[in-house]
Amino acid sequence: MDDSKLMNDSTFMGVSREKIDWSPRIDYNKCNYCMECVEFCPHKVFEVRENEEQKLIVKNPNNCVVFCRACSKTCGLDALDFPDKGKTTAHIKLIRKETAKNE
Amino acid sequence: MNKSYAVLPCNGLDKCSGSISKEVAEMLSENGESEIICPVFYRIAETRYNKLATEKPLLVIDGCATRCASKLAVEKNLKISEKINITDEAKHNNIILGKSLRLNENELKLAKIIFEKLTTEEKLDTAAKDIFDFPMDINYEVYKKDKFVFRVPTNEGFYFNENDVWVYIIGNKARIGVTDYVQKSLSDIMYFTPASIGNEVEQFEDAGSIESGKAVFEIISPVSGRITAINNKIIESPELINQNPYEQGWIMEMELSDFINDMELLHDFESYFPVLKRKVDEFHG
Repeated sequence: MDDSKLMNDSTFMGVSREKIDWSPRIDYNKCNYCMECVEFCPHKVFEVRENEEQKLIVKNPNNCVVFCRACSKTCGLDALDFPDKGKTTAHIKLIRKETAKNE
Repeated sequence: MNKSYAVLPCNGLDKCSGSISKEVAEMLSENGESEIICPVFYRIAETRYNKLATEKPLLVIDGCATRCASKLAVEKNLKISEKINITDEAKHNNIILGKSLRLNENELKLAKIIFEKLTTEEKLDTAAKDIFDFPMDINYEVYKKDKFVFRVPTNEGFYFNENDVWVYIIGNKARIGVTDYVQKSLSDIMYFTPASIGNEVEQFEDAGSIESGKAVFEIISPVSGRITAINNKIIESPELINQNPYEQGWIMEMELSDFINDMELLHDFESYFPVLKRKVDEFHG
């Protein structure tokens, strides 16, 4: 496998991105749909749905950069939350170990 | 002695934190030599405040993470000397902000705490002791995309996380900074918020942030350990990070607590360079 394939978007430190649960959680009780986070995130994690009750959804959770929480810093209402970093780190290490064993 | 500032509060009427920004600004101007810049008036009539904004060190008070006051300062090309975010301060002090624009007892208390923090001279003992044996000659591999040039150090001892933060290791000590990819994506960096010296940081935890008019970038620590030094020069001149984020624009130093473990989730040059190339192709393509 060449480098470009190994490091493609769907992996983080060699682990398939789909196996890593890391993306923003929107607190709809706080969100006022200002869409600052949508504008900020260059990875198209969010999607705007003008005609629905929840006008903002996390459309592409696996586009979210693992350990990045930058969108939450644009949120004036503190309506974005992320999974526990320590647990995520441990999970990634575990998968790497399992993968190494199977190879 | 009280410090004196040109104070630019967001003065927002959108939420309580805006009212607190105004309260803090008023406390500063009533109890010292500080003078307030009205953000509303400044936006449309900048000549009124241009002299003040450049004569005194500029203190920006943002109510919330929308950073209206910071963005106004950038728009007007002002050099920010100090910055405070009311929502962050509320969190640090365990004060929950209400919905009303009128300040209750707790919110007034918060304003007072912030006022006192701002007027107390802090002797920052952040000077990097020159014991860190950083290499004088750093070799770079370069990736070019149009007019943009992205450097990555190839020297042994440099490691990178996939969040584009580098770490250089000597024994149990480390120096940390951001890569060219970060500074180019942010463009002109105008403010650096350091983490506190002495703080214990875990791998992948935030350790300060840098920001431009475009965005805030959280520095995601590539290693775990205790912060031992902050680069004071970039507090004064954050543009050093744009000039060279690997040399004069380094961010901080740490004493490592578990590098063997941390290393598992870090790249060396060989494996980071393809990651950088892919990112550049995707976002600067």
